[in-house]
Amino acid sequence: MAILNYELLDTNNDVTTTRTLLHESIPLTGTIVSGTYSDNNIKNYTHGQFQSVYDYPYLSSSANHIFDITVGYDEGSTLSGSAGATQEAKKINMYNQFSQVLLGYTGSTNTVRKFELDLSLDGSGEMPESLFLNFARLVTKDQIKKGTVSVTVGTGSWATPFAGTKVLTDASASATGGTLSVLGGEYGVLYDNATNVAQGLVFYQAGIVALSTASFSGLSDFYSSSAGTSSIADMFVSSSITASCDALRHRVQNISFNNTTEINSKVYFCRVPHNKYNHSSNPTYLSSSTMRVKSVNTDTPVAYITTIGLYDSNNDLLAVAKLSEPLRKDPTNELTLRVRLDY
Amino acid sequence: MAFLDNSGDIILDAVLTETGRRKMARGNFKIVKFALGDDEIDYSLYNKNHPSGSAYFDLEILQTPVFEAFTQQNAGINYGLLPITAVDLLYLPVIEVNELGQVSRAISRTSGVFHASDTSNDTSGNNRIHKKLDNAGIGFIKNNLSTNYILLETGIDTGTGNIPVGTSADRQSYLVANNLVDDSFRVFYDSRFISTIYGPSRTGNVFNNAGTNNELNATFNLTQAQRTSQNSIGIEHYVSSVVSAVMNNVVFNTDGTDTSATYSVIDGPRASALSLAFEIKSGLDAEYTLYGGTTTIDSTSCDYIDTTIYVQGTTSPVQIQLPIRIVRLS
Repeated sequence: MAILNYELLDTNNDVTTTRTLLHESIPLTGTIVSGTYSDNNIKNYTHGQFQSVYDYPYLSSSANHIFDITVGYDEGSTLSGSAGATQEAKKINMYNQFSQVLLGYTGSTNTVRKFELDLSLDGSGEMPESLFLNFARLVTKDQIKKGTVSVTVGTGSWATPFAGTKVLTDASASATGGTLSVLGGEYGVLYDNATNVAQGLVFYQAGIVALSTASFSGLSDFYSSSAGTSSIADMFVSSSITASCDALRHRVQNISFNNTTEINSKVYFCRVPHNKYNHSSNPTYLSSSTMRVKSVNTDTPVAYITTIGLYDSNNDLLAVAKLSEPLRKDPTNELTLRVRLDY
Repeated sequence: MAFLDNSGDIILDAVLTETGRRKMARGNFKIVKFALGDDEIDYSLYNKNHPSGSAYFDLEILQTPVFEAFTQQNAGINYGLLPITAVDLLYLPVIEVNELGQVSRAISRTSGVFHASDTSNDTSGNNRIHKKLDNAGIGFIKNNLSTNYILLETGIDTGTGNIPVGTSADRQSYLVANNLVDDSFRVFYDSRFISTIYGPSRTGNVFNNAGTNNELNATFNLTQAQRTSQNSIGIEHYVSSVVSAVMNNVVFNTDGTDTSATYSVIDGPRASALSLAFEIKSGLDAEYTLYGGTTTIDSTSCDYIDTTIYVQGTTSPVQIQLPIRIVRLS
């Protein structure tokens, strides 16, 4: 039945807004990346420009897209123009795409910036070759929480990649510092925990990790195929992007970070005065026209609140809030019900 | 629609309704007021005679599990809490259908529903829905101003011999003084089947003071009700009209013969009376297949659609649902 009795909200004093940051821990184990589903959760595309990793065989409707992997290098890289290069144009295009979106262009000739393994884009510490991990919005939500990223990669031989590992973290980044703001948002540097050498970048809002090939530079068998073993530099030149992604997955032992969801809330303070809303139009409230909660007229009337409806000026019900248990209302109490709507 | 976890602290589960989301998308989402509801509560569980004392009177009520919030507009609050400020009220009015048969044009339920005729499939002679309903002894509402109506009364119905009684003095002190007399009602109806609502004119009246034996003097003068723009009942396809009420001056006669119980279903102070009629929408055809069925009236196959009309007082908390069956010849 229609509601005819409303209590007006004082929009100056009864309504306020709040902002809350919610964090979830996202652990991505290496067995998801390679092994658990015999690569049925790895999706390759005919264009061969990147590879997608799902948390379940991707043909299943239950599968969720977790992240993409790709590789690329700048056209100024020493690898560029090498003889026998495979998909060189696409690798350069991939690098340029990431750098133009995340860093933009610079100089009088408007050249695309190169990634740098520090917090100043001054041309030193350049990272002309990179492996990229782009995380889906499903897992990063609004952004990756600064200072929580950890990437563990295997540095052993191809046969036993995790015989040696290195952990890259952004421990020096925090909400108050250790990052640099660029076109694509803020980024922090991933350092090798053991040596404290910068070996990658993480773009928090974009949800992108860029790993330097320097992380694996000492390995002669970073990659192995029917053609034999190769270093990461050789692989960048002579292998396809898909094969390079396979090689990286082979060495990912663990990735973890906390995501961040920004919740903007509007809080409505519904103030129920002591002298109102102590009676009900509920059909069970009366028996033979007599209130069931009273024996004589001097008894205190009482009603029980289970629901709060929020309305606009047209009497349209815009939101409903339910109490987990009935709340007693009588003339001796005055209630303030705090209804929070999250956006 | 699950129950909320009530094992710990009191929590509030809030959701936007479909209307809220739509208005947010359109950019006109602005909450300016609130209302309180208690739909899950069964007040008959309030035990004023609990042997352990008053702290236990509402024990069962406070343990009532509450449903999760859901997003349908009509499922928000059906029975609201009332802002009545008086604390010394013991009685509230109710609304009842007068089916005593003392008012010639007031119809009664047959098989639990009020019938209304749709003459669209009538031909001639005996092959008319009115004829079939008359033969079956079924009262019904016709499609015109001189039609029959459903007669509703409001008042405090405490029963014979109980306080308050239906005198003019009690009407004044229990109803008028507490602003519990409705001078109009909101009628909610399904606009797919019903086009117009009729109610009494302001000049109508109901007395039981006619003749020497305090006979009934009732005049309603049906007029077309004013349709309102708001559908605050929230049920899809429903619209509302506001109909006037007439003062229910049937009283307990302390002089001469008391006829109040003969003419009124309210046994106590009476507040208002309402004669309610309506017009069936023309062109109903596919609707009988989509929403209705077939039945037999006077050995003749008929189509029917069942619908419900909701009546609510604009001043007092009275409300009632009227089950309606629209019938026509098949």
